[in-house]
Amino acid sequence: MMSSNTASSSAAVAGSADSAAPRRNSKKPKYSRFTQQELPACKPILTPRWVISAFLLVSVVFIPIGVASLFASRDVVEIVDRYDNDCIPDNTTDKVNYIQTPGDKSCNRSITVPKRMKQPIYVYYQLDNFYQNHRRYVKSRSDAQLRDNSSASDTSSCKPEDTYNGKIIVPCGLIAWSLFNDTYSFSRNSSQLNVNKKDISWKSDREHKFGSDVYPSNFQSNDTVIGGASLNSSIPLSQQEDLIVWMRTAALPTFRKLYGRIEVDLEPNDVISVTLQNNYNTYSFNGKKKLVLSTTSWLGGKNDFLGIAYLTVGGLCFFLALVFTLVYLVKPRRLGDPSYLSWNRNPGGH
Amino acid sequence: MTWDTSKNLFKSNSGRPSGMETKNSAENSSSAEATLNSSSSRRSILSSHSKASGNSIREVSFADFGSKPVRHGSRGADSEGLSTSQKEISDEDARLIYINDPVKTNEKFEFAGNSVTTSKYSFITFLPKNIFEQFHRVAYIYFLAIAILNQLPQLAVFGRGVSILPLAFVLSVTAIKAAYEDYRRHRSDRIENNRIASVLVNNQFQPKKWKDIRVGEIIKIHASETLPCDMVLLSTSDPTGVAYVQTVNLDGESNLKTRFAKHETLFKMPEKEKVIGLIKCEKPNRNIYGFQANMEVNGRRLSLGPSNIILRGCELKNTEWGIGVAVYAGRETKAMLNNSGAPSKRSRLETHMNIEIIILSLFLVALCTVVSACALAWLLRHKNELNYLPYYRKKDLVGKDYNYYGVGLEILFTFLMSVIVFQIMIPISLYISMELVRVGQAYFMIRDTEMYDEASNSRFQCRSLNINEDLGQIKYVFSDKTGTLTENKMEFQRVSIWGVDYSGAKSQIEPVGYSVQVEGKVIKPKMNVKTDPELLQLSERRNDTKEGRHVYDFFLALAACNTIVPLVTDTSDPTVKMIDYQGESPDEQALVYAAAAYGFMLIERTSGYIVIDIQGERQRFNVLGLHEFDSDRKRMSVILGCPDKSVKVFVKGADSSMFGVIDKSLNKNILHATESHLHDYSSLGLRTLVVGMRQLSASEFEQWHSSFEEASTAVIGRAALLRKVASAVENNLCILGASAIEDKLQQGVPEAIESLRIAGIKVWVLTGDKQETAISIGYSSRLLTNNIGGSSEASPTPVALIIDGTSLVYILDSELEEQLFQLASKCSVVLCCRVAPLQKAGIVALVKKRTADMTLAIGDGANDVSMIQMADVGIGISGQEGRQAVMASDFAMGQFRFLVPLLLVHGHWNYQRMGYMILYNFYRNAVMVFVLFWFVLFTAFTLTTAINEWSSMLYSIIYTSVPTIVVGILDKDLSRKTLLKYPQLYGAGQRHECYNTKLFWLTMVDTIWQSVAIFFIPLLAYWGSSIDISSLGDLWILAVVILVNLHLAIDVIRWNWTTHAAIWGSIIATFICVTVIDALPFLIGYWAIFEVAKTATFWLCLLACVIVGLIPRFVVKYLYQYYSPCDVQIAREAEKFGNLREVGDVQIEMNAILGPQRR
Repeated sequence: MMSSNTASSSAAVAGSADSAAPRRNSKKPKYSRFTQQELPACKPILTPRWVISAFLLVSVVFIPIGVASLFASRDVVEIVDRYDNDCIPDNTTDKVNYIQTPGDKSCNRSITVPKRMKQPIYVYYQLDNFYQNHRRYVKSRSDAQLRDNSSASDTSSCKPEDTYNGKIIVPCGLIAWSLFNDTYSFSRNSSQLNVNKKDISWKSDREHKFGSDVYPSNFQSNDTVIGGASLNSSIPLSQQEDLIVWMRTAALPTFRKLYGRIEVDLEPNDVISVTLQNNYNTYSFNGKKKLVLSTTSWLGGKNDFLGIAYLTVGGLCFFLALVFTLVYLVKPRRLGDPSYLSWNRNPGGH
Repeated sequence: MTWDTSKNLFKSNSGRPSGMETKNSAENSSSAEATLNSSSSRRSILSSHSKASGNSIREVSFADFGSKPVRHGSRGADSEGLSTSQKEISDEDARLIYINDPVKTNEKFEFAGNSVTTSKYSFITFLPKNIFEQFHRVAYIYFLAIAILNQLPQLAVFGRGVSILPLAFVLSVTAIKAAYEDYRRHRSDRIENNRIASVLVNNQFQPKKWKDIRVGEIIKIHASETLPCDMVLLSTSDPTGVAYVQTVNLDGESNLKTRFAKHETLFKMPEKEKVIGLIKCEKPNRNIYGFQANMEVNGRRLSLGPSNIILRGCELKNTEWGIGVAVYAGRETKAMLNNSGAPSKRSRLETHMNIEIIILSLFLVALCTVVSACALAWLLRHKNELNYLPYYRKKDLVGKDYNYYGVGLEILFTFLMSVIVFQIMIPISLYISMELVRVGQAYFMIRDTEMYDEASNSRFQCRSLNINEDLGQIKYVFSDKTGTLTENKMEFQRVSIWGVDYSGAKSQIEPVGYSVQVEGKVIKPKMNVKTDPELLQLSERRNDTKEGRHVYDFFLALAACNTIVPLVTDTSDPTVKMIDYQGESPDEQALVYAAAAYGFMLIERTSGYIVIDIQGERQRFNVLGLHEFDSDRKRMSVILGCPDKSVKVFVKGADSSMFGVIDKSLNKNILHATESHLHDYSSLGLRTLVVGMRQLSASEFEQWHSSFEEASTAVIGRAALLRKVASAVENNLCILGASAIEDKLQQGVPEAIESLRIAGIKVWVLTGDKQETAISIGYSSRLLTNNIGGSSEASPTPVALIIDGTSLVYILDSELEEQLFQLASKCSVVLCCRVAPLQKAGIVALVKKRTADMTLAIGDGANDVSMIQMADVGIGISGQEGRQAVMASDFAMGQFRFLVPLLLVHGHWNYQRMGYMILYNFYRNAVMVFVLFWFVLFTAFTLTTAINEWSSMLYSIIYTSVPTIVVGILDKDLSRKTLLKYPQLYGAGQRHECYNTKLFWLTMVDTIWQSVAIFFIPLLAYWGSSIDISSLGDLWILAVVILVNLHLAIDVIRWNWTTHAAIWGSIIATFICVTVIDALPFLIGYWAIFEVAKTATFWLCLLACVIVGLIPRFVVKYLYQYYSPCDVQIAREAEKFGNLREVGDVQIEMNAILGPQRR
C-alpha cells in the first residue's frame, strides 16, 4: 500500500495544478466587431431609383460640360497652313535632294484671317507622321548632360550622336540633333508682326532641366549628317527655348510645337504674309509640315471631340435613364421578394 | 527451484511488497520460473515475471491500429509497430549507447547534441537560402526571366533598377515574412535550449542546460518537469518502476500514459554505484508509438519497447522522479522528427485559375505577335528610308549600322521587348495577394467566437493556408461517427448479465456515488454512474446466490479486464479522496466507472497485480497475463490469479468476435437472450461489448504460460506469436453478459446535419460501428427520417443507402464501383458501417474519382487519417481521441457543429471573395496591358511606354494592390445571420457562381472596353495638340488607377471604414506617387503632372474616361441584378430592406410541410 500512497500524494498536487491551468489561459477569442467581421458598414444596392438617378446625374453634369466645351472649341480661331509641298519649287523632282542641298530656301505664304483673333495668338508648327515617340528616338538623350555642365561626358544613351571625332557633343542624342529648323516671320500690311519667342517652354524645364551653365559644343558639326537646326554656342541651354520645346517629346505621331506668340489682335480679313525658311527635311518620310496660328480658350485649342463626347455620353445616360424608368414601370420587381429565390421558384426541380 | 530462490527473485525483480498473498504469488511465480529458466539458458535473456506479463505485451499493444469499434487501448501505425517489433536490430542499423558514458557513446558516431534548431536560417545563410527556396515557384522564375531579358542592352525596355522592382518587392515581402517567423523560432529555440535539467556528472546530479545534454548521459527528471530528450527509463520513484507521463505536447492526448523502468536497473542508484551498460537501439525515426532496443546490464540482455522510453516534450506526472539515459537528443528526438509542416493541397479555384492563366499567356503571346507583325510591316515599308528618318537614323557617324541587326533580329527583339512590356498580363502579384488574403481569412476564421469550443478550450485551427475558398464549394461531407458526430464520452447505460437485462432507465433515481472508506478516508470515483437498483442489490449480495455469482464475475471482469490506471487525488475535503480512472479508451473508462458504481472499485494497478475493492473488502488479484486489444481479434483478455488461488481468464470484446470463441453448447438460452439484448442495445445506438470467462486448469495455465513466455521473448514475429497465444487461450468461454455504452451525440449535430443537407451537401457517415448502431445514430442525428424509403409518389422520395464494410471490400475490389457510385449518388443519405480506415479513404476516392464535386472528410481519430488526407478538404476534430487526425487535417475544430459556420458562412465568404479577387486581378492587370498595347500601335510599334516606367511598376504594387486585398479579406456578400438562416445560399459556391469561364470572358470583354475608353478618349482629345508624352502618360495612369479602383468600388458589397480607407487611400496614394515621380528632375517627365493638371482638358478627359469605362459594366450589372437576380442578390435585398421576417415565415412553413429535403 505504500506505493499507492506516495503515488496518490504526488498525483494530488499535479491534479489540482492541472485542473487550474486551462481556466487561467482560456483561448477563447476576444470579441470585437472587427474580429467577428461585424464592423458597421453600408451596403449599397443597385435599386432602380438609385441607378436611374445616377444616370440622370451623369447626363445633368455631362450635357452642360459638352455644350460648354463645344462652344469653347468653336470660339477658338485656328488657321492651319500646310506648306511642305508648296514651298518646293515646282520643277523640283527630288525633294529630298533639294532640302538637303544648302542654299536659300525661303518661301512666302499669305494667310487671310477669317475671324477676329484676340491676342495672344499662338504660333505652332505641326508635323504629321513624325514619330517623336519612337523608342530609338525617345531614349536618345542625356538628361544629366542637359542639366549640369559637370555631367557633359554622360552620353552613353546618346549613341550614335554622342561624340564627333572624339569630342563630346552637347546637347547629344537624336532628339537634339533633329531639332526643327524652319523659321517664320510674319508681317501684316507690310508691317512686321513681332513673334515673342520668350516663355514658350515650361518654366520648370528652363530652371531645373536645362542648365544655365551648359553651352552647346560640337553640335551639328558633322557636315554630312545634319539633322536640323544649329545652336548658338554662346547661349546656355536654359535659354535655348526652341530646343527645350522640341525636347519635350510629343506623345503622338501628329503633333504641334509652340513656335512663339503674336501679341497683337488680328482683325478679320487681315492678310498675313509669312516668310519662312523651309529647311527641315520631312520629305524623306512623307511628313507634312503645317504652320498653325491659333487663339486659345479655357479648354485649350480647337478640338470638338471632347464636346461631342460629353454630349454623347450625357445623351446616352439620359436615354438609359429613360429606358430604365420605362422598363421599371412596365416590369417592376419587388426587391428581396422570396418567391424569386431559386428554391422557391421551381419547386420539384433540383 | 526452491521456495527461497523464487521468493528472492520476486523481491529483487518486481519489488512487489510481499503481503497478504505471498503464497499465491509464489505459487504462480514458481511455475513461471520453470519456463523462464529454460528460455533464459537458451537465449541468455532473463525476463522477470512482471516484465513478461507487463512490458513485452505492451510493446505489442502499440501494434494495433484502428481500434475504433471497441477501443481498448492504444493507437499507432500498425505496419510500423509490427515491423519494429518483428525485426532484429542489425548492427549497422543500430546506435550504441553506453550508459553514463557520453564520451564513449559519442566518440564513434556523431549523434546529434540536444540543442535544437527549428529555425531555418542563420544570419548568413538567410539570403541565399531563402531566395533559393522562393525560386521554386514557377511564377517567380517567369519574373526573373523577364528581369534578365530586360538587362540585355538591346532589350532594355525599363531601366535596370525598375525592372527588378516587382520581383524584388515580391521576394522581399516573402523574405520579411520568413525572417519574422524565423526570428520567433530562434527566440523559442533559445529559450528551449537554455532550460535546465539535472544531469549526472561525476556521480552527482548537477543542473545542466538542455543544449549541453549528450546522448548516454543519465538525467533525473522531477514531477511536472518536461523531458529534455528521448530517454530510456532506468528507475523511478515508484518501487515497481512505473512512471506516468503526459504526452499532451507530443500528440495532444491529455490522459496519462504508463511507462516502466526495467527491474534490472530499478534499484541502482546512479549517484552511488556506477551503472554500466550498453543500449543498442534503432536509428532515430518518427514513430512515436514504436521503439525497439536491447539493453545489456550486468551481463544480461533485456529487450526494450515503447513502454520503456519517455520522449522529449512529455511531462512527468504523478511520479516524484524518474532517472533515464538519453538515447536520442536534439533533432533526432521523436518529437522533433515529427515536427513536419502542414500538408499542402491546392485549391480548386486555383486549379481553375491556372487554366485562365494559360489563356492570359495566350493573350500575351497574341499581343506580342501582333506588335511584332506590325513592326515587321513597318520596317519593310520604311526599309529604304530608315537612315533618313530623323527619329530612326540607322547609321552612325561613320556610316555603320547603329543598333540595327537586320529585320529578322529586330523583329525577334521586338517580340521579346513586348513580352517585357506586357509582362503583367500574367498577374504575378495575384499569388502574393492570394497568400495575404488567405492569411487574413484564416485570421478571422480562427478568431470567430462561434467556432471556439469551450469544453476543450480550443480555437478553430487553419493548418493549411491554401484551400480556404474550397470550403465554399463542398458537395460531399464524409463524416466519422464516434467522436465526430458523438461526444466520445461514454456513458454506461445498460447491462445484460446471465441473460437478464438490467436497465438503468427503469429507475429515475439520481445516481448515488458509491464510495469506500480506507484508513479513515473516503474514496469516491470521479464520475457517478446511473445504477439499476435491482442489480445493485444483486451485486451487494456477492457470491451468495447463483445469480450473485455471475454478477460478481461480470463486474470483476469489467474492473479487471482493461488497461485503466487508477489515480487517487485529493479533493477540497481532506477526508475525501477522488479516484480518477486514466486510460486511453473511453469505453474502458466507462466500464470501470460502472464497475465501481456497483461496488467493484479498482483501486490500484501495478504491472504485476491489481487491487479491487469489492463491496468494501480489498482484494488483490495477480495479473498473470494480459492480451491487449488488437483489431484482428477485436477482443482483449486478462488472466487473473484470484485470491482463492484459482486462475481465470476474462475476455471482453466485440460481439462478432466473441460469439466465435464462446462455447455454444453451454447455456444456450442465456446465449440467445444475450444475443437478443445485444440487438436491442445496438438498435438504440449503444455500443456493445460481450464479456466471457473461463477457469483455467493448472495444466492449461502451464501450457499457456510457457507459450506466452516463448512468444513474448521471441525476437522475430513477436506480435503474431502473441496473437496466436491469445487466441489459443481465449476459447471455449462461458458467456457472462454484455454491456451497453451510450456514446452521446454532440451538441447541435442534428441541426448541423439538417443545415448541411438543406445547403445541398451530401452527408455520408462512415463508421466502424455495427449496422444497427449506425442506423440508430442516423435517426437520432436526423440523417435518417421516417419518410425515407416510403412510397414512391410523383415527387421522388429520399432514399438512404446503408452498406457495410464486408460488402465494400467486395465492391471496391471489383468492377461494381461504378454501379455503387450511381446508386449512392441517387441516395440522399449514405451510411457505411463496419468500415476499416483504408476503406474510408477508398470511399472518398471513389467519389472524388467520379465527380468534379468537392469532398470534405471530417474525423477525430487515427483511423480517419487516411480519409482526411484523401478528401479535398480534411477536417480534424480535436477531441477525445488524440491528435493524429488534427495533425493530418487542413482545418481543425472542436465540434462537429462548427462545420455549419465554417462551410455556410466562412466557406461562402471565402469562396466569393477569392473568386472575385482572382477575376479582378486578371482584369486589373489586363486593363493596364491593353492601354500599353494601344499606345504601342501609335509609336511605330516600338514599345515605347507613355506611362512612366516607375508608375507602371508601382501599378500592381502600390496603386491597386491594397484595395483588392482588403476586399478579399473583409468584404461580405451576406451577413452571417442570413447565410445560416438560408443554407441554400451555399449553392452559389457549388454552382461556381463567383468564378467560371463565362465570367472570365465577360470580364475580359469589359477589360477591353475599359482600356479602349481610357486610351482613346485622351488620344482623340489630344490628337494634333502639343501634348508631350509624359503628360499624356500621367493622364493614362491616373485614369487607369481611378477606373480600376472605382470598378472595385462598384463591386464592393459592404463598405466599412477599412474599405473606404483602402480604395480612396489608393487613389490618393497614386496621385501622390505620380506627383513625387514628376518632381524628380532627372526623369523625363519632370513637372509634367503640374503642367497638365493646370488644363481643363486633363480633368475632363479623366472624368470622361472613368464614366465611359464604367457605363457598360454598370448597366449590365444592374440589368442582371434586377431582372435575373441570383439567390444571393435576393437575400441581400431582403437583408437590406428588412423583409427578412416575411421570408423566414415562408421558409419555416415549407420545411414543416415538405420536410428538410432540399427542393
